[in-house]
Amino acid sequence: MKFIVSSSALLKHLQQINGVINANTVLPILEDFLFEIEDKKLTVVATDLETVMGVQMDVESKTDGKICIPARILMDSLKNISDQPLTFNIDKNFSVEITSDNGKYKMMGENPDNFPKAPEADDANNFTVTSSALLNGINKTLFAVSNDDLRPAMTGIFFELSKNAVQFVATDAHRLVRYKRTDATNANADSFIVPKKPLNLLKNALPDNDDEITVSYNNNHFFVTHGETRLSCRLIDARFPDYKVVIPADNPYKLTVNRTDFQSALRRINIFSNKSTNQVVLSINGSELQLTAQDVDFSSEGNERMNCEYDGEDLQIAFNAKFLIELLNASESENVVVELSTPNKAGIIKPTEKEENEELLMLVMPLMLNV
Amino acid sequence: MVQPITYIAHFDLDSFFYSVEVLNNPELAGKAVIVGGSRERGVVTTCSYEARKFGVHSAMPMKKAVELCPHAILVRGSHGQYGKFSKWVTDIIASKAPKFQKASIDEFYLDLTGMDKFFNPFQWTIELRQLIMDETRLPISFGLASNKLVAKIATDEAKPNGYLFIQHGKEKDFLAPLPVKKIPGVGTHTLSVLNEMGIELIGDILRLPKNELENRLGKWGLELWDKAQGLHHSTVSEWREAKSISTENTFETNTNDVEFLLSELIRMTERVAFELRQDEKLAGCIAVKIRYPNFETTSKQTTIDYTFRDDEFIPVAKDLFHQLYKKGTPVRLLGVRLSDFANITMQGNLFDDVSRKSNLYKAIDNIKLKYGKNYLAKGRSIK
Repeated sequence: MKFIVSSSALLKHLQQINGVINANTVLPILEDFLFEIEDKKLTVVATDLETVMGVQMDVESKTDGKICIPARILMDSLKNISDQPLTFNIDKNFSVEITSDNGKYKMMGENPDNFPKAPEADDANNFTVTSSALLNGINKTLFAVSNDDLRPAMTGIFFELSKNAVQFVATDAHRLVRYKRTDATNANADSFIVPKKPLNLLKNALPDNDDEITVSYNNNHFFVTHGETRLSCRLIDARFPDYKVVIPADNPYKLTVNRTDFQSALRRINIFSNKSTNQVVLSINGSELQLTAQDVDFSSEGNERMNCEYDGEDLQIAFNAKFLIELLNASESENVVVELSTPNKAGIIKPTEKEENEELLMLVMPLMLNV
Repeated sequence: MVQPITYIAHFDLDSFFYSVEVLNNPELAGKAVIVGGSRERGVVTTCSYEARKFGVHSAMPMKKAVELCPHAILVRGSHGQYGKFSKWVTDIIASKAPKFQKASIDEFYLDLTGMDKFFNPFQWTIELRQLIMDETRLPISFGLASNKLVAKIATDEAKPNGYLFIQHGKEKDFLAPLPVKKIPGVGTHTLSVLNEMGIELIGDILRLPKNELENRLGKWGLELWDKAQGLHHSTVSEWREAKSISTENTFETNTNDVEFLLSELIRMTERVAFELRQDEKLAGCIAVKIRYPNFETTSKQTTIDYTFRDDEFIPVAKDLFHQLYKKGTPVRLLGVRLSDFANITMQGNLFDDVSRKSNLYKAIDNIKLKYGKNYLAKGRSIK
């Protein structure tokens, strides 16, 4: 097997899928890329057994064939080779020889037949969304996903489909984000949980444009193909918590603030908060919002006042400032409305203006003092 | 600016656990008494001076101690009692001393620097010692010197039931005739290296060039050379809040019974969580420790959301245990530790009613406080 490929093009493609490979894998072959040539098309695949990601590119080649090449050494060498055509020569014993203008490099590949097979999209359902819609769905919710392995259901994004709509829901039990798109064609009532890692990879591979993307899924797997890139992963086999019942139906008090001003104030105040709780107290009196934080251990404190619109009784409520800052990041609107009730019940954050076809709802639980 | 003359006093309660036992049971006075764990596997926590004459010392395996001093009365320590007496002594010192550090349950450093303008520090310390002994009826010794190191060694020389003041400038004269093992940090390894070099007394160290000691012992050699001269710069750092709460249990016999180990783990987790709630803290980190019969000790910790609840600690502790435990291997010791404390501010949970659970734990703790820590436990941990 022999092929010629541009060094920079190969590196660019490999960088898209390199993130799949774990640093410490059980099976040595999982440290390899699978190279497969069929009719001058090179497909490179990486897997960690949960996530499989592949890219395709054109190469010059007279024959078809496949080989497993160690990812680390290949990436390291490509990063240090200037842009030029590289010739790959692979012999029967899986020995790989790369010829460049500068010289020859040799490494040991592995038998491609031992590379794990990618899951097939059997019995798959599918729906279509734009690339930017899917990208937004991931970007606006992924940060709220839990890292707690003891609660696997929360370690991914919950895809909740209904007639021509898809909702992306993520929570770590302290906050929750739900982002709804009403422009998903062919969607029907269904749901599944996709783990964090493949979504992170997808986020970096998808363009922010109107390209149509077909998302497929069956009982166990999730598949996305876009141009030369395809990704599949195992779904999280757990039941997502019944989040609808925890969304407060009527939080009577409504606080409207400028989103970026509020976020900047939180960032400044949070510097002076206790580092383990990031507690910031919001005191709302009439049309004035006061933010205070303190760290008793280091005798530091911060205090700011800002204007707001407020409809409700005077209230004092504490939040983890980090949570609020991250949530405010997920919105793009100029102003946000924070709906509150009592100091120990969840607050709702919503943008005041919204784009067509989308809907954003965020929930955050307060910090409770002296429970 | 002229450096003020420093005065550091080191107080040490004489065979503290034994003294407490004597207060509880006066018949023990004047007899050879060994306080410690079980006869088979425990170690000596302390012993009376009568038992020391037979070569018994603290940290010695109980088995060996009994061999050396077969007629000794063995007493199982009662930890709650010791804490109470220790706190009593701490309170007395806190009410008198301008700055002090509690180095352990029975050891205190006091920084008296500057007091010499108003009092005679030696006289003041003698009076403090008398006050402690009058109030608590516990014997205590002290050493007074220009730094912590010399003060500690002086206390050691003053014991039992005495005191010693090493005048400024006399540190070297005081240390020189003492055996090198009196310097804290000199253990069996250092001792054998030093003996090999022909060093027996602290004074011998000073006759060597500094770099020769460094060649043999590295950085520690330099430190040791300074210490031998009576130089030491560590300051008295004031008493601080506990940074972790832990408990561990060495089993009577090694066991690989996972059910039993898990029930022990739950019992210990409930115990540290109870302590945590009594301190009105939340913990953000939990660790599990396992020691195998060959003394190989492993531990694993993880960060968690700040909490004080048993039902949040226990699954994590079990998970850590399973990650850590080498299946089938007998276990000698199991331990649980909580750390990274925060003040009571609970992050609300969308799917779990936090305030209802905290009421539950308040009720549980009230029962434990009234009837004893072991009155109420999870079914799983009852044997």
